[in-house]
Amino acid sequence: MTTTQTQTNELAIEVRALRRSYGDVEAVRGVSFEVARGEVFCLLGPNGAGKTTIVEILEGYRTRSGGETRVLGMDPARGQRELRERVGIVLQQCGVQSDLTVTELLEMYGRYHARRRSVDELLELVELREKRDVRARNLSGGQLRRLDLALALVGDPDLVFLDEPTTGFDPGARRQAWSTIRSLCDLGKTVFLTTHYMDEAQHLANRVAVMNEGRIIAMGRPEELGGRDLRPAEIRFSLPPAWSLGDLPDVPCDERALDGDRVLLLTKQPVLAAQRITTWALDHDVDLGHFSVSQPTLEDIYLELTGSGEENQSAPAEEVVR
Amino acid sequence: MSPVATSSVKRDLGLVAWQVRYEQRAYWRNRGRGIFTFVFPLMFLVIFASLNKGAHISSRGGIAYDAFFVPGILAYGVIATTFVNMAISTAILRDQGVLKRMQGTPLPRWAYVAARIGSTVIIVLSMTAVTVALGVVAYGVHLRASTLPGLIATLVLGTAAFTALGIGITRFIPNAEAAPVVVNLVILPLTFISSIWFPPTGMPKALIEIAKIFPIRALADGLEYAFDPRTLGSGLNGQDLRTLAIWTAVGVFLMIRFLRQPQGEVR
Repeated sequence: MTTTQTQTNELAIEVRALRRSYGDVEAVRGVSFEVARGEVFCLLGPNGAGKTTIVEILEGYRTRSGGETRVLGMDPARGQRELRERVGIVLQQCGVQSDLTVTELLEMYGRYHARRRSVDELLELVELREKRDVRARNLSGGQLRRLDLALALVGDPDLVFLDEPTTGFDPGARRQAWSTIRSLCDLGKTVFLTTHYMDEAQHLANRVAVMNEGRIIAMGRPEELGGRDLRPAEIRFSLPPAWSLGDLPDVPCDERALDGDRVLLLTKQPVLAAQRITTWALDHDVDLGHFSVSQPTLEDIYLELTGSGEENQSAPAEEVVR
Repeated sequence: MSPVATSSVKRDLGLVAWQVRYEQRAYWRNRGRGIFTFVFPLMFLVIFASLNKGAHISSRGGIAYDAFFVPGILAYGVIATTFVNMAISTAILRDQGVLKRMQGTPLPRWAYVAARIGSTVIIVLSMTAVTVALGVVAYGVHLRASTLPGLIATLVLGTAAFTALGIGITRFIPNAEAAPVVVNLVILPLTFISSIWFPPTGMPKALIEIAKIFPIRALADGLEYAFDPRTLGSGLNGQDLRTLAIWTAVGVFLMIRFLRQPQGEVR
């Protein structure tokens, strides 16, 4: 996908200098971005960064204090029915008529749309077939979230908003939700996602915007974010007591450090460095423990960007570091 | 009107009918709500009528207590199925985010509100049918064709006033758990001074005057008037109908103010 060449009419979402204040508090402080059709775009940030405010402005639930927004070429603040026909919304913690069954709810909400998907197809997509005749009040939390997604897709939308779609899921349920969300992209939908889970952004998004305190502080493909692809790799292992750092062969690296028996090498040529060290170890019969090569994770970059690393162990950081 | 607009209005009215079906299913399936709003009034009817068996009301020309009580309980039934039901269910729908979800769908807001009101009207009609049937069969109430206009006008205005007020008062209900408390705090004291349970004989004049301001007394009085075997003419009680009309206007004003609030904004 070439996001650089997109024309205005190929943009699903355009946001320019968006601002929103609540009284004296500025929740969104001049945010601009574009989302191309067919793209999975993710707003990543700690709780309170302004993600939900932005997504709810785009959904037409909140008004903006300043700036411009276009969703499928329309202004969401005007609340046009035409826009609501083409957008699917998964809100955070949003109930349904709990005395109706899964099938009844899908039929009921489906009828509101001129274009709609069949109930069977939706049940299949979110794997709720066995629960089709169960009342919403008797569904588990995970099943309700899947029903949420099915209800968002009932009108076969072009654009789907997912506000923290997997918060509170167990790992298995998250993997399942991810595969469902990925299947949306296969259907050609544009997906706008917010999350505070790094791995979710990494698995699902074509592009990520990292938010903190109402601003976008970095934007790019997950593997490039914050210059992640340009950072040196880390090689770690432990050295038996008889050996010291000086005994190691000459390897291309920016930095080497010894902490107890743990060695850390930072290198831009991880393949060559690993090969030299392992060859040396085998030749000299040195038993290297816990040998690993790793690229800085999105989480490392994220914590660095949002400043919620060691120097700032405030409450939201706990939820962020998962 | 252009053919396109006509067909879209037709489609929207179809959506209202569609939505009424689901509102009905949801209402009758929820036993707790059904008991609170539908069974309670009928239960009171049976209990109070049994307690006062054979009693006559001298202030009403010696009519049987039963014949006085049936219209009173019908008024209470209308209030329970409209005001109480609407206020509690709307507060729940708001707190659970259902109203917000509905706002994000292509169903126009007016169509959703119309369907909720339409569904309430069906419940009121059922409640009226059951109460009147019980009154005629078991408690010697006479349903007369001549006073039917008064009965219908009072029921229509009463339903309109209490349905609109029920939606409108949701703005003043902080959360769903508080809803039954708030609603009963408003309703119960007024029912006692509005001659729902017993005639106002011996009640301080001030209380009667206060009751006259509110629509509960107007609804109960209007219904009693239409059912009273001594009533001549069409059974239309001008003063009661006027009070109900004023409260309908107040209700519609509050209802629109509640409905205009966007559901996404921080309250």
